[in-house]
Amino acid sequence: MELLDRISSTLQKGEDEQVAELTKQAIDENIPAQDILDNGLIAGMNVIGEQFRKHEIFLPEVLLAAKAMYAGMDLLKPLFIKEKVPTQGKVVIGTVHGDLHDLGKNLVGIMLKGAGFDVIDLGKDVPAEKFVEAAKTEDAGVIGMSALLTTTMPVMKKVVELLKENGLEDAVKTIIGGAPASEDFADEIGVNAYGFDAGKAVELVKELTGKK
Amino acid sequence: MARIHSRKGYKLKQIIDFKIAEINPDGRDVLLHQGIPKGVEVPERIRVLLAEGVDIFRRTAQPKGVIEEVSLNQFENTFVGEGKNIRDVILERIYPKSDHLALYVLTMGEDVSSRIEKMFNEGDYALGSMLDAVASLAADKASEVFEEFYRDYLDSEEKLNPGEFVLSYSPGYCGWHISGQKKLFDRLKPGLIGVTLNDSYLMTPLKSVSGVLVGGNKEIHIFDNNFEYCKECKHESCLDRMKRIQTI
Ligand code: B12
Ligand code: SF4
Repeated sequence: MELLDRISSTLQKGEDEQVAELTKQAIDENIPAQDILDNGLIAGMNVIGEQFRKHEIFLPEVLLAAKAMYAGMDLLKPLFIKEKVPTQGKVVIGTVHGDLHDLGKNLVGIMLKGAGFDVIDLGKDVPAEKFVEAAKTEDAGVIGMSALLTTTMPVMKKVVELLKENGLEDAVKTIIGGAPASEDFADEIGVNAYGFDAGKAVELVKELTGKK
Repeated sequence: MARIHSRKGYKLKQIIDFKIAEINPDGRDVLLHQGIPKGVEVPERIRVLLAEGVDIFRRTAQPKGVIEEVSLNQFENTFVGEGKNIRDVILERIYPKSDHLALYVLTMGEDVSSRIEKMFNEGDYALGSMLDAVASLAADKASEVFEEFYRDYLDSEEKLNPGEFVLSYSPGYCGWHISGQKKLFDRLKPGLIGVTLNDSYLMTPLKSVSGVLVGGNKEIHIFDNNFEYCKECKHESCLDRMKRIQTI
């Protein structure tokens, strides 16, 4: 559909106002919200993700495109609630307690949303209990944790322990990232995955949720 | 940089207001921090973002620092910190050979960090991320300005011998445990410039740096970076620093 292609290509150029206008036009033309999302917004964001992975475009361009995507999403949201359109899955993310570095966590959230996940961002300085509580109440399939300081990494281990205590270790998968995290550390504390960057985060969350 | 208030025979202790012009990072370095290699064609819209980020930084940053000279004994106590240092910290080989030591904390102020947060909350991710990079690099650069400041001070006091050089070292790097900041804060009291430390040794505002300025013969700052912890080091910033000294 030509209009959805235009949404996708305008999104790729990061033109948020124009994406909003085109999305509105698509809604007015009674194109189903799911179609606009999948074949307009997410399709455009997928191209951006792929180009970024291949180093054809740079981070600021991805972020401009993400803003454009949300401009369209904001208009679709009310329709989704009515139509109960399913997402790729729910992911709870946050920067662990004691740490306020949230740039990396924010980028991960933006990329996950761009890939169609429903992201519950708990912000920064998040205690282990709050991650688990949110995963329970939101019925999330994945918890993503970020830490930039070695001193705040034990919180990640505590989340794994709390999930076990609550019998949730199979229902809720865990993924970590940030400078001091590593695959070895993830194995050591029993986390399901470690993501080096935001692109890898999307790939791994898709694997963890069986969307790949 | 502010004028040096020195009184002969007294140890230096001073609060400093940095000028934006002296800590403004190079645009190409900011882009590199955003993952854009030097030498590639930069799209116009990214150049616009960069200019905007630099401009907002200029208007919101309140860069300040505090510096205090310490004796070798006093520094030894700070360095040991909470007793969590890795064995064979490179700084442990350097500072005992130094002639001058000064603790410092510097910050870009709270407003830049709140501005970045606001941008992310409002969906201005690209600009928020650009401003974040500008502020991070400016904080790094301010450490270098502090090195120059201390060198000038020592020079003005006629305490700097030919061939002597000042370089900064920070807790959290090269085996010096991040908890080293606790005693550094106890001594320096950077609350005076609005910087606090939490239980995980994180400074607020986020764009802040702490460390020690080590003055001495430039040879003391040169070493082989083959320590156990170097294996996992992703930045190897020591190489640039050593190169910088050797060209002087
Ligand atoms: C820029 C920087 C600074 C800047 C700004 C700080 C900031 N972040 O705002 C300045 C110069 C101010 C600074 C200061 C300090 N820093 Co600093 N800093 C860095 C540096 C070089 C980059 C951080 C950054 O902005 N990265 C960019 C973002 C986008 O990347 P990111 O957060 O890592 O996120 C990406 C991935 O990690 C991943 N990811 C992140 N979260 C998640 C979550 C999930 C679920 C997944 C899957 C993936 C994922 O995806 C993200 C996007 O691609 C790191 C080193 C590094 N390689 O990370 C050190 C680093 C964080 N700093 C360090 C230290 C020690 C300090 C200081 C304590 C030094 C000092 N004594 O002054 C201070 C502390 C500041 C404070 N407020 O307390 C250490 C911490 C080590 C430790 N022992 O804990 C590091 C790791 C450097 C090192 N030694 O190797 N720092
Ligand atoms: S390689 Fe890295 S850890 Fe080793 S001395 Fe250099 S900067 Fe420090």
